[in-house]
Parts: sequence; C-alpha cells; structure tokens
Amino acid sequence: MSYNYEELSWSDVKDMLRKWRETTDRKSESIVQLWEAVLEEKMGKLGNERHIILEQVVIAALDCGRMDIADKCMKELIAEFPDSMRVHRLKAMRFEMLESYDKALEILDGIIKKDETNPSARKRKVAILKAKGMNLEAIAEICDYLTKFMSDQEAWHELCNLYLQEADFEKAVFCMEELLLHNPHSYLLHLRIADIRYTMGGTENMETAKSYYLYAIKLNPTNLRALYGLYLCCLHITNSKTVLAKRKEAQTLGQWALTQISEKNSKRKSKTSNKYIAALDSAFANMDIKGK
Amino acid sequence: MSVKILNKLLLTIGVISLLHAAYSAAQYRTFLRITEQDSSQLPFDIVLQALVSLFVIVYNIIQVVGDFKEIRAAVELQEKTWETLSNIPSFYIFNHRGKALAPNYVPPSGSGKADLSSAD
Repeated sequence: MSYNYEELSWSDVKDMLRKWRETTDRKSESIVQLWEAVLEEKMGKLGNERHIILEQVVIAALDCGRMDIADKCMKELIAEFPDSMRVHRLKAMRFEMLESYDKALEILDGIIKKDETNPSARKRKVAILKAKGMNLEAIAEICDYLTKFMSDQEAWHELCNLYLQEADFEKAVFCMEELLLHNPHSYLLHLRIADIRYTMGGTENMETAKSYYLYAIKLNPTNLRALYGLYLCCLHITNSKTVLAKRKEAQTLGQWALTQISEKNSKRKSKTSNKYIAALDSAFANMDIKGK
Repeated sequence: MSVKILNKLLLTIGVISLLHAAYSAAQYRTFLRITEQDSSQLPFDIVLQALVSLFVIVYNIIQVVGDFKEIRAAVELQEKTWETLSNIPSFYIFNHRGKALAPNYVPPSGSGKADLSSAD
C-alpha cells in the first residue's frame, strides 16, 4: 500500500505504527516506506517510543531485505544499548536474514547462556529451524520450549501452525484448545478450531465443528466466515447417514445460516452498485449454458 | 473538537466554583464564631453550589479523559481479523520472497530450473 506522505504528519505515522504493533500486522513494506518518508527526520521527536519504533523498523527492514535501513537503525540502538539482550537478538536476526544461521545461533546461545529465562532468544532458535525448512526439528524445539514456558500463547500458536503445515490436525487442535483456555472470548480461536475440525472430516468432527462455528457466531454475529462454515457443516451432516432427527435439525440450521449470509450480502450489495453484479451474474449464467 | 474545549472550560469553572464554595463555608464559619451564634448547618446555597459543581466536575472529567472500554470481553476481540491471527512476530522468518523488494536485490544466478534440480 502507498500513502500520500505529504498529508501524513509524523504523529499520525507514529500512531499508525503503534496500531500495527498492537495488532501484529505484518506491514513491513509500509513501515519501511513510512520510516523513510516521514519518521526518519523526526527521530528526535519520538520521545519514549523511539527505541521501540527503531526495533520495529529494523525488523520490518529485515523483512523487506533492506539491509541499509536495518543497519542504520541498528547502529543507533547499539550505540545506546551495547549490552542489551534485545539488541543482541536483533543482531542475530540480521544474520538470519543474511542466511548465516550458524552465526545467528552463536549469538542466541550466548544470550541464553547469560540469561536462561530469556524466551525471545529461544523462540528465534525455533524460527531458524523453520527458516531452514526443518519443520519436525522446529516442532521438537518448540515442544521443549513449551515445557519450560507453558503459558506462552505465541508459542502455542506457532506450534499449531507448524502442526498444520505437517497436516497433524489432532495435535494442532490440541494447541488451539490450549489457547482457547487463555482466551475463551476470542471468536477467531473458535473459528480456527472449527476450520481444523472441518478439515479433518468425518461426522463426529463435523458435529464438533458445527458447535464451534455456532459459538464463533455467538461471539461475533457479523462474521461471514463462521456463517459459511456453519452452512458447509450443516450441508455435510444433512447428506451424511446419521439419525434422521439430526439431519433435519442440520438442514434447518443450514437454511438459517444461508439466509443470514444472503441478508448480509444484500446489505453489502446495496452499498456498491448493483449494475456490475448483475452483469457478472449474467456472464456466469452464460457460462453455465455453455458448460451444459 | 469544540465540545472537548467546552468540556475543559466547564471543568475549570466547576473546580473554581467548588473552591469558591469551600471558601464561602470557611467564611461562614468565621462569621458564626465572631457573632457567637451556634449552628451546625451550612446555609442551603453553599451546599447547593458545592453539590452542583461536584456533578459538573464529575461529568466533564469523564468527557475529557477519553473513551471508555466496552465492558463485554468479546467486543474488543471482535475487532481482530483473521488475517493477523497467524502473524506471530517472535517467529518471523526472513528468507522469503520479500527479499526481492530490496532495490539492491541480486537474483540468484543460473536459470530457475537448475536451481530446482540442485535443491532436490
């Protein structure tokens, strides 16, 4: 995305970066652009947020392969905090970006030796294994990490992602359930579990997925993904060989989900212009006829 | 914006008025002592002024300080999006295609096919 830099004041940019930090958006390219265009000259004005913004920019620059910017910002940080573990970790990340993983590991091991309770260095070690494509080793490492830091939500989430990459759905669901205990009101976690259960397939999993989708809808009634997931689940159950009563129930529920979806869609449609959608519809209808 | 300024103005007036009420009460006490009258009650107008200015202060402070957070836990979480769910900053990896965005990026030498076969 590009912004009109002249309209943005440096405090707007500061707020934007803070928002991205809090929501963990990975907008590395935008961060680097905004840094170059707006914030770099105003570095003195940033106050107590200066260091955390520098760190954010370093990581974003590494993410985009902009070594020049990363080095410049890192120099500032090293000059101020030559012994900081956090800066050492950034150095390790720089080596990771250059793909000299051995040097990065050396630094990280040094950090862990000095401070055994430093979680971020251990997490970077997992990330290195991930970057090398050694998913199974990464899983082993992160499991080891989780025996020491059991309440680390990020790590549980990452473990879930790794299990999903390895298509080990049972264990991925376990990780997600662990997260759900920390955050029972997050509709996204319910949605995640429902999606995984749906992917696993089978009538029993469909039933579980259905209840998770329902709970996600309860927590966030405007979520289309949950509604559509519910519809698919119900469709699956209706076409399965379960008890008739259950099938009937699923059918009505599926109908309800569908009406909700179309209601939301018609609301959205009325906002945009109807003409184009009608044209698209007719185009698809033509395709159907040709297909037959 | 102008509402904010009005709130701040009212807040200042409220504080001044409350201080004024306190001062009046003290004045009234000394007046009673000098005239050697005996009364435990403050006059009605001072009490009224104190109460009214207290409510003005409370209301305007709430307006000035900022927005309240929603009391239901789910509402705040509704704002999060599916896209950022799996973004975990501690586990970012950097050897991805984002590298090619750098202006000084040098593509790996050799044709793509040769690279693929060597990776196997």
